[in-house]
Amino acid sequence: MGDALKIGILYSTTGPYGAMGVDARDGAMLAIEARIEDCARRTGRAIEPIFYDPHASLGAYLDGARHLLREGCRHIVGTITSAARKEVIPLVEKHDGLLWYMCPYEGFEANENVIYVGGCPNQHLIPAFEYLIPRFGARPYLTGANYVWGWEMNRLARELIANAGGEVLGERYLPLEETAVGRIIAEIEERRPSFVLNNLIGPSSYAFLEAMKTLGDHDPAFRPENCPVVSCDLMECELDLIADGSATGQLCAASYFDMLDTPDNSAFKARAAGRYGHERRISSVFASAYTAVDLCVGAILAAGSDEPQAVRREVHGREWPSLFGPLTVDSRTNHAALPFHLGRINADNGFDVIASRPALAADPYLTKRGTHMPARLRIVS
Amino acid sequence: MSKTPNFTGWHAMILHRADTNTERLERQFGLLGIRATCQWAPLADWESADLVLVDADQGWDDLLPAKPDALGKPLVALLGSEAPGRIAWAMQQGASAIIPKPVAASAIYPALVMAVSIHEERRGVAERMQFLEERVRMRPLVHAAVEKLRAARGLDEEQAYAMLRECAMRRRLSTEQVSAIFLGGAEPWPEVG
Repeated sequence: MGDALKIGILYSTTGPYGAMGVDARDGAMLAIEARIEDCARRTGRAIEPIFYDPHASLGAYLDGARHLLREGCRHIVGTITSAARKEVIPLVEKHDGLLWYMCPYEGFEANENVIYVGGCPNQHLIPAFEYLIPRFGARPYLTGANYVWGWEMNRLARELIANAGGEVLGERYLPLEETAVGRIIAEIEERRPSFVLNNLIGPSSYAFLEAMKTLGDHDPAFRPENCPVVSCDLMECELDLIADGSATGQLCAASYFDMLDTPDNSAFKARAAGRYGHERRISSVFASAYTAVDLCVGAILAAGSDEPQAVRREVHGREWPSLFGPLTVDSRTNHAALPFHLGRINADNGFDVIASRPALAADPYLTKRGTHMPARLRIVS
Repeated sequence: MSKTPNFTGWHAMILHRADTNTERLERQFGLLGIRATCQWAPLADWESADLVLVDADQGWDDLLPAKPDALGKPLVALLGSEAPGRIAWAMQQGASAIIPKPVAASAIYPALVMAVSIHEERRGVAERMQFLEERVRMRPLVHAAVEKLRAARGLDEEQAYAMLRECAMRRRLSTEQVSAIFLGGAEPWPEVG
């Protein structure tokens, strides 16, 4: 048996996005376990995952990437936030490795040494707005975490709303882990937006959704059916962290939901349940990490080598069967085409899928259609 | 609110020897919708490009055409050297952003956005300056017109100036232009005389 094929797994399982990190790590692990036999049969090599947990410390991501590269990993699956991704990229570039990034992010990046399996705004925010504006109006309130994800998503939201002839009624940010949402809630109550875009993350987001529930109980105009809160990064694994039933009826955009009713998803969920128990709901980060690792190992096997250039060529060269349906990765942007689903949180802390679109090609720099909504959707309340 | 920049359909001239830096530039330009031409020879004129990138390590003065009134095109310096002379050369050519060498993919888009927006700002400033210089040049005419009005209407200086200014505002012209027309006697002046 030859040297093991080493895959680096770089996720933080603690801190404000710890729940996502746990799911990402477990999804990656499930994919590796599923490929072990295949890999041994075809190459005589074992697959060895090497884990590094930066515990939400930005500086530790660089140490982690260095450790994984030194251990002989040419492929690192990891990072949740853009800050962490940006931290790791220069080192991965220097060693000519590949970073497999699989979270939804704010776009405006296309690096040769990164394969992007999460979505950028034309795959989550823009289709979500195209759904929301005709139904609820073009006068949203924007809120977000006080860093690049929140800032850029809300900047883009402003542009989309201006182009749709609407008006942004307010925009406020909270530091990571801040849960004092009172001022934002008071402003929303006073300004009465048509919907709320929530780019808060972790505990801030949970506190905000809980406070919106209280507001809706007090004034029906703010119930989810009248003024929904839409997120692009809320996951199944987080719903149990929100006070019981508080988020029911609120919306989230993603490329995957546990409730997706397809034969592939049923089979996948059965396997995940076999490994992690039936209680475990599969989130989009779990599914995306699984997909990224499966694609990574699949392409390594097809290339007959883990040499990044050869692997990249394999990734670009074909349509890969995946949980998201047949998956293609654009050779210019290194981004995967991804389906869009809009989920509504149900009473069982899952998402009911209320709207879907087939795979959308990524447009990380928004060069194709720009930020104008199709005219048929330009309805202003 | 800042608008998402869009360079789709642009043409970029890269004045640099073809190497891995220019390869990386061309790759990134491709996904931004920018057509790129790479040459290591003087640029004939500014009109052939929407955007110019120049090797500031090796560049010489005649590599770029002389700047016309419109200030040429947005210029980005490709710079590996830290030598003050090279930085100065890049600035003399009018570069408004730098992409350090070796070129990192993540440095390209921000440099383009910055170079283009600074170029537009500079053009705006140049136009404004031209307009103000014109007005300064014509300022003696205002004085002459005020004097002529004072004599003709028996007004004091302040009243005469107010009348000129009122007339300029109504006609959406500068006070200088109105004064020139008034002094030239080219047309009757119902408002002023």
